[in-house]
Amino acid sequence: MVHGNGHHRGSCRKNKIKRILDLDKDTCPNREQRANGTNVYYGKASQLLQDAKEGNINIPDRKFQQSGGCVLNFYLSNRVTTIRDAVTIFNAPVGCSAGSLGYRELYRGVPEALGRTNEYNNAWLTTNLQQEDVIYGASEKLRDAILKAEERYHPQAIFILTSCTTGIIGEDIEGTVDEVQAEVNAKIVPIHCEGIRSRLVQTGYDAFWHAILKYLVKEPEKKQDDLVNVASMLSYTWQDRLEIKRLLGKLGLRVNFIPEFATVSDFEQLSEAAVTAPICPTYTDYLSRGLEQKYGVPYFLYPSPVGFSSTDEWLRNIAKYTGKEDEVEKLIEEEHKIWEPKLNAIKQEFVSLRKNGEKPTVLGSLGQGRLVSQMPYFDELGLATPAAMAQDFDDLLIDELEEIVEKSGDFQLMVNTFQAAEQANVTTNLDPDLTLTCPFQGGTWERDNNVTRIHSLRGDPEPTSAQAGYAGAVAFGNFLLHAFKNRSYHKTLSEKTEKSYKDWWYEQDNPLYYLNESK
Amino acid sequence: MSSKNTIENQSGIDTGINKFEKESVEAPRYSCALAGVYGTTLGIRGGIPILHSGAGCGVGQLFGTLYAGGESAGGNEGGTSTPCSCLVEEHVILGGEEKLRNLIESTIEIANDELFVVTSGCVPSLIGDDVDQVVDEFRDQAAIIHVNAPGFKANSSEGYNLFWDAIIDQLLPDEYLESEEKTVNIFGVVPYNHVYWKGDLLTIKTLLESIGIKTNIIFTEKNGLDHIKKIPQAEYNIVVNPWLGVRAVEKLEEKYGTPFIKFPNVPVGAKQTAEFLRIVGEKLSIPSETVENYIAEKEDWYYRLMEYPGDAIILVRPNSFYAVAAESSYAIAFTKFLANELGYLPDIIQITDNPPIEVREEIIREIRDNLDTVVQPDIIFEADTYKIRKNLENRPFLFLFSSSIEAPTSIEDYNALHIPISYPIYNRSVLAKHYSGYDGGLTVVEDVVSGFVGPL
Repeated sequence: MVHGNGHHRGSCRKNKIKRILDLDKDTCPNREQRANGTNVYYGKASQLLQDAKEGNINIPDRKFQQSGGCVLNFYLSNRVTTIRDAVTIFNAPVGCSAGSLGYRELYRGVPEALGRTNEYNNAWLTTNLQQEDVIYGASEKLRDAILKAEERYHPQAIFILTSCTTGIIGEDIEGTVDEVQAEVNAKIVPIHCEGIRSRLVQTGYDAFWHAILKYLVKEPEKKQDDLVNVASMLSYTWQDRLEIKRLLGKLGLRVNFIPEFATVSDFEQLSEAAVTAPICPTYTDYLSRGLEQKYGVPYFLYPSPVGFSSTDEWLRNIAKYTGKEDEVEKLIEEEHKIWEPKLNAIKQEFVSLRKNGEKPTVLGSLGQGRLVSQMPYFDELGLATPAAMAQDFDDLLIDELEEIVEKSGDFQLMVNTFQAAEQANVTTNLDPDLTLTCPFQGGTWERDNNVTRIHSLRGDPEPTSAQAGYAGAVAFGNFLLHAFKNRSYHKTLSEKTEKSYKDWWYEQDNPLYYLNESK
Repeated sequence: MSSKNTIENQSGIDTGINKFEKESVEAPRYSCALAGVYGTTLGIRGGIPILHSGAGCGVGQLFGTLYAGGESAGGNEGGTSTPCSCLVEEHVILGGEEKLRNLIESTIEIANDELFVVTSGCVPSLIGDDVDQVVDEFRDQAAIIHVNAPGFKANSSEGYNLFWDAIIDQLLPDEYLESEEKTVNIFGVVPYNHVYWKGDLLTIKTLLESIGIKTNIIFTEKNGLDHIKKIPQAEYNIVVNPWLGVRAVEKLEEKYGTPFIKFPNVPVGAKQTAEFLRIVGEKLSIPSETVENYIAEKEDWYYRLMEYPGDAIILVRPNSFYAVAAESSYAIAFTKFLANELGYLPDIIQITDNPPIEVREEIIREIRDNLDTVVQPDIIFEADTYKIRKNLENRPFLFLFSSSIEAPTSIEDYNALHIPISYPIYNRSVLAKHYSGYDGGLTVVEDVVSGFVGPL
């Protein structure tokens, strides 16, 4: 069995990040503790790196703060509810699950001709906690919900998502699970995602993977040498899945996509895979390390298959763990032959967009995982990235960020999780030629300069929405060009509608104006 | 007509009239009290919610209230733009009042808004924050209210009622204001939860103004706070819902002596609209000639248009059975419209917003007593999506009017064409579209016929 140190650069990080997995515990440590994470920073990337190395990262309170998501309601709910042969139970008041009401529609827009199965019937319940449950406890209601889920759907697994309320009133979830497990065939998987537990929504990822590793992943019966685990995010589309499948298929490999739209057996076989490959390292981190620690499945966290050079390297990493070193070079050569002329045509168009010979500037609002893979891709396209916004930062990706700073020079880095006012301030003051936004972040997209999305969503089956691999690098490059061709929608709206904030907010240049430094 | 028997379903299926949903439940078609206050506040132009809650309550309701309410973006005050105290464990231990105080102060400084709605969720309620006291500190600086809306207290519809309780008790003045003749306020159309709220409110306003009644729809219009301040001046309040907004108009009657007119639903199509106009016109002493002339003119236009789809309807889907699963107001309106104007046959009507027990008989009667057909539908109060879907199995209906939850598989599950009318609706961008009024009734017909029409 291959015991892998997945790090292609052989850094000392493996020693620094301790063995994380303690499956005797009900849940993972918070990102704050595990990786010194933060979501409050604005300044030079080099300074943040310095702070991280010296252990000077903290999360001061903001005086003005916006609803940026919690451990549960930052898509965790929306990911778990897509698992095809499972039922999810929100142990919560009725509002915590409302964001999951799109569950029956999420993947239905993908044509079956593109490989979407029609054989699924996922569902979720809420324990619908009431005033009296808060006083007298809710274990009976959880039990009732579990039994309903079993009776109605006979699912392979029943996920339980906890809430602020169950956390504060001290519900003994595991106690209830232990009691009810014998009565149902489904494997019950409690996930501790109380919104109040952590300031970092990324803790929710870890909490989910902890539960997957603790309850669902099976001891390997046989090694599947051609199986590659890929944790698919909602920010990757159906076309991205197809592209990843296509590329790995050419190497004779199969992809095990989890968790979105997966089946429970896909989770069970995670331990049998040849390697765990990232498409978002910050998302996959806990799972990857856990699978290695417990089952010896090697992994790597960088890069993701975004842009040509990163896709090359991503494929080579996978090839290394699957014995496909020769085949992969042939594949890369073939693919470059097909796609490079198309990428070059896009680069040419970006050259023609230069003003005074300067590369067009792009400001992207990204997850930290996306940041480290997307910045080199923008460089490939001939776009300059003088600043970046990341949802989170922790010491899981220090080396990668350092490499980017070394390669492309220092840049301004803002770290926050959907703080719309801070993002509006930075966007206004830096005034990039192109802003890439996750539109959930509010009114910053109404600008008189170019704006488009940073990424598409899982249910988008359209080839022009692709982002991953070679096909995706070309499609997304074209997509970015479109943003320069017509800006009438957001430009007109910025003229015709009121701004979110008073003028003074845009006129001063400190996005962290409301930081409580005293903390 | 109104004997006890007519309440029960002829088929024997339980009406659920006495079952107020408090148990664990599958994908209910409503959110929590905080969500209702949040959506209602965002319906006010210049209103900004200040959430005193965990950090996910705004984002959760971006997906669960705004996107679910006809794919609406959050705008300047919604979604991730919503100020939030983002409470975590240390606040649970030390209290969240200071965090809230800072948040209110900074929100007043930074936001381009004029009505500040501090909305308490589950966490402050469980840890015992004295939110009222913190909010009191700001009452002389801004128009500010506190709505205590923990998610375990009530559902999102009831959140609309809680919002109005707070406005009336905390913001509107005590003294009696001279009322202005021929003016009304409209209640009972809940932003986002009633997905076609924007168009329906505008339609009600246009209808009433056509017969000379100045109409304050409060939501969707510029300077929302001014519209709220004008509420006491109305000659009448009108509520178009069997239970939402009813408490508000009762409170306003108590506080200002303003009488109210109650309708069980938003009027959909010519018949309901004419009835609506006649009743309101009479109460507000509008000359009946004015009202009748307007109705006659609109009906002349409307019924000529209703003739156009006639061939398609008669050749393809005449007298078809239909099913409805919707919130109270639209369930009543659509059931009556389809039976009384399109000649369709009501098969099963499911009320999904978990209304209070006290109004349920009234809802059933409103449907039972007002159908121009010998067919009596099964009427069921049900919040559980599994049961709603089970109840739809093996029935004759060919059209299903419900939320978009059923949309993807309506044909394969029920062999029925699906028309999304009720929360949640993710598969329509709902802007000005509406089903109320004369043109709204025609829109229902367009949606129905477009589902099956082709070369004849």
